[in-house]
Amino acid sequence: MNLQGAVPLVILTILAGGLPAVVAIRRSYRLICAVTGLGLLAALFSIPYALRATSPALPELFTFNALSLGFIGLILISALLILVLAYSYWQPETPLYREEFPLLFAAGTLGAVALASAASFITLFLGLETMTLAMIGMIAYPHFRPAAEEAGLKYLVLSGMSSAFVLFGIGLLELASGSLNIAHIVASSAADAASQQMLVAGLAMIAIGAGFKLSVVPFHIWVPDVYVGAPAPTGAYVAVIAKIAVLAILIRTINLPGANLSASMSTLTTAIAILSMLSGNLLALMQDNLKRILGYSSIAHLGYLLVAILAAGSIGQVAVVFYIVAYAVTMIGAFGVIAVLSHASDVRDVDKITELRGLFWTRPALAGVMTLFLLSLAGIPPALGFIAKMYIMAAGVHTQLWSLLAVMVISGVIGLFYYLNIILVMSMKPSDDAMAVSILAISIPNRLAIAMVSLPILAFGVAPSPLIALLKLMFD
Amino acid sequence: MMLVWLLVIPMLGGLLAWPAGRFHSTAPRIISLIALLSDLAIAIPLLHSSADIAMPGTWMAGFNAAWIPAFGMSFRLGMDGVSWLLSVLTILIGLFAVIVSWHEIDNGAGFFHANLLWSLAGAIGVFIALDMFLFFYFWELMLVPMYFIIAIWGHENRRRAAIKFFLFTQGSGLLILISILALAFLHQQQTNVLTFNYFELIQTHTSHTFGILITLGLFIAFIVKLASFPVHVWLPETHTEAPTAGSVILASILLKTGAYGLLRFVVPLMPAAAHSLAPIALWLGVASILYGAFLAYGQSDLKRLIAYTSVSHMGFVLIGVFAFNIIAWQGVVILLVAHGISTGALFIIVGSLQHCLHTRDLSRMGGLWGDMPRLSSFGAFFILASMGLPGLGNFVGEFLILRGAWAVAPVITIFAAIGLIPAALYSLVAIQRAFHGPVDETRDEHDFGMRETSMMLVLASAIICLGVNPQPILTIASPALNNMQPQPTTAMLKEMGAG
Repeated sequence: MNLQGAVPLVILTILAGGLPAVVAIRRSYRLICAVTGLGLLAALFSIPYALRATSPALPELFTFNALSLGFIGLILISALLILVLAYSYWQPETPLYREEFPLLFAAGTLGAVALASAASFITLFLGLETMTLAMIGMIAYPHFRPAAEEAGLKYLVLSGMSSAFVLFGIGLLELASGSLNIAHIVASSAADAASQQMLVAGLAMIAIGAGFKLSVVPFHIWVPDVYVGAPAPTGAYVAVIAKIAVLAILIRTINLPGANLSASMSTLTTAIAILSMLSGNLLALMQDNLKRILGYSSIAHLGYLLVAILAAGSIGQVAVVFYIVAYAVTMIGAFGVIAVLSHASDVRDVDKITELRGLFWTRPALAGVMTLFLLSLAGIPPALGFIAKMYIMAAGVHTQLWSLLAVMVISGVIGLFYYLNIILVMSMKPSDDAMAVSILAISIPNRLAIAMVSLPILAFGVAPSPLIALLKLMFD
Repeated sequence: MMLVWLLVIPMLGGLLAWPAGRFHSTAPRIISLIALLSDLAIAIPLLHSSADIAMPGTWMAGFNAAWIPAFGMSFRLGMDGVSWLLSVLTILIGLFAVIVSWHEIDNGAGFFHANLLWSLAGAIGVFIALDMFLFFYFWELMLVPMYFIIAIWGHENRRRAAIKFFLFTQGSGLLILISILALAFLHQQQTNVLTFNYFELIQTHTSHTFGILITLGLFIAFIVKLASFPVHVWLPETHTEAPTAGSVILASILLKTGAYGLLRFVVPLMPAAAHSLAPIALWLGVASILYGAFLAYGQSDLKRLIAYTSVSHMGFVLIGVFAFNIIAWQGVVILLVAHGISTGALFIIVGSLQHCLHTRDLSRMGGLWGDMPRLSSFGAFFILASMGLPGLGNFVGEFLILRGAWAVAPVITIFAAIGLIPAALYSLVAIQRAFHGPVDETRDEHDFGMRETSMMLVLASAIICLGVNPQPILTIASPALNNMQPQPTTAMLKEMGAG
């Protein structure tokens, strides 16, 4: 059996399986984090090797081509960055066993990678569930925080429901087409009216599941509570890795031969995109909690992404991936700043906007970096988000989606309000009792992680060509 | 390559000034002065440089490098007479902004000067970018630092004003982006080359409706920046709430980017569409002149009054641009420079008034001439200059605009000229209420010192030179203006009912 193409997945499987053994041998937080990090790195660096595979590995279950391996790379890089943040987030004084967090982390990443490269609905569902279950554990990890437990429970119930939808959908598709292979189902056409109806119903149910994971309107209700309750590194994980994985399978499916968005589907997607852009940004306006704002803003950003997905064609494809990259690094950065400011042993993170007051005067560098992240989210130069937004607009103009573009402009202006507000609060004079926030020293890994996130945001925001060239390779 | 340095030096200066503020509050000021002076030293000799090899003809200097080849975007810069004038104005006004904030800004001086230099660099970039996407990039880039300057160092309602400023300019900026993209893709359809090169896009043929839509996107964005009548709402509040240096930069430079955009992009890119928009533009210009003047007359806040006069003067600019002839355009260039100088000076004066009186309220002024003779005389001088007193720069500009517009749209010209009456009214009222009359309160005498007086003398002599001998400016600008190809439009305008 030739496993060359599947090397990243194999490494991750060994990692996720071996970590409990490491914990059993020696319960050391540092050791287990180091092993996890090394495993992720090894998986990342095995991607070029996997790309050179001549024969497909496990073709019935997985597809490892430039597109899926590109997404896997993105997932692994994001996971590494979040892992660094999580490593210093869980301080020794936190009243819990810290060692199991990397365990869940590795399992979740394994699930995400499996989902991103799934070729069959079996692996799709297994990946999805592995990822989701690990994330529930990570959300509720600080069990002494009531909000975290509540968030974990909410996510458990709602994602259980969405998984049920997906499973039912998969069943219907299997019944209608007699196959579980995604490419086969996409390429085939329904034999009769009954199976056509089953196909449509099955696809709709799977779409509901995807909508839930992507948190687009109207499947977004869980977002604010889960984002607020989850500890900051998990928040980044939910906001970034889960979405990349689902988008990966979505984009891969759309790129399969025979795939086409039917008129009704594209109308529906347009409506979802418009609603997500508008309501995400409008709801974020009234919030005073940074994590909530990031949650609502992620809803709006997924709406923008849908615009690019709708604007198919060569520009649209790269635009989607480019936007995902920009979104991922920026979100990690923003959650990273919260993680840096917070103590895991406190009952909640430092996530009220008012708690950021005066950051420009107490910690200019951190405030400057946070401003960069917010500008990137708002799509203003010199941040990466600007080029990403330009890319999506270019795709939209190219395919003449004028109404979507109009909504994008309007909701972009609305979005500016709350991003600017955060920057304003950071620039206000610190009140005397707010100095407490600034006492905490930033650990070296945290500095490293924040720097590693902010550098590409600035560098690719000024000179995006290398990134564009790299991402174009995914579609060759 | 010189043009790149023109941008790099203030950017680097900003990067240096920020941390330097931690060591000593004077360090960032000195860094800013050095950066701007060396920029000036680069810019001035360009005037005498023979035509650049890369940019033949009327271009003084050029630069081109690949930037985002995937989209055909390049780092293309070029400087002609109009760009040169506005860039030098930017640098000079920047110097004055540093000097006025020497004592006014005492906390966070490092960050302040970093923002100041960055916004100036953005403005210079706007004036010399010849790749349309690069232009837009600089257009957006100058916003964020300006936002910080208003939001952090402004007056009482600074946060509201800053957000308003940002939303208006950013929202309209997205229209520019869509227009630029639409134009570039249209060009791609015709030639199979995706490019944002100004010289290439200028040759794009558009259908009537599509051309008008693209032009409309650009037009709206630029008149928002220019603060023309229906979309001027951000201006009074922003200019009033900004710190002195911020108001000076806003009024003297940022408003000019709107006018520059109209001249450089709207008019030459799609002349036909611009011509069909002209009647609207001309009437908007008239409305701005009259509305701005009347509102200025009604203000009791001196800074707000000056802000509204800007709306009025920019109305003249709008008329001048859309008169489509060389005379009016020459007037536009002169008026841009003169308005930059006179309004900048006025904001400096109001700033120092507020500094010693702690109010901008006209009703609490009065009789200042006795207490502060130097400040008051300069104040009166610049108010008269901005009103358009013959012999001073603004008069030349407005006269040329009216002269040029008369040929194409007499009715418009008559209405615009009527605007000079309320202008005289608000100017005289402002002088009277602020500087003359009885003294109501006892105040500490705090007249202009050496620093302010010499600044004012420089600005005043500039405005007199401009008024007495505008020819050098016209000589610099005219090759560039000739390039923008005026066309006889009388017939077209008459047809559309504006004549």
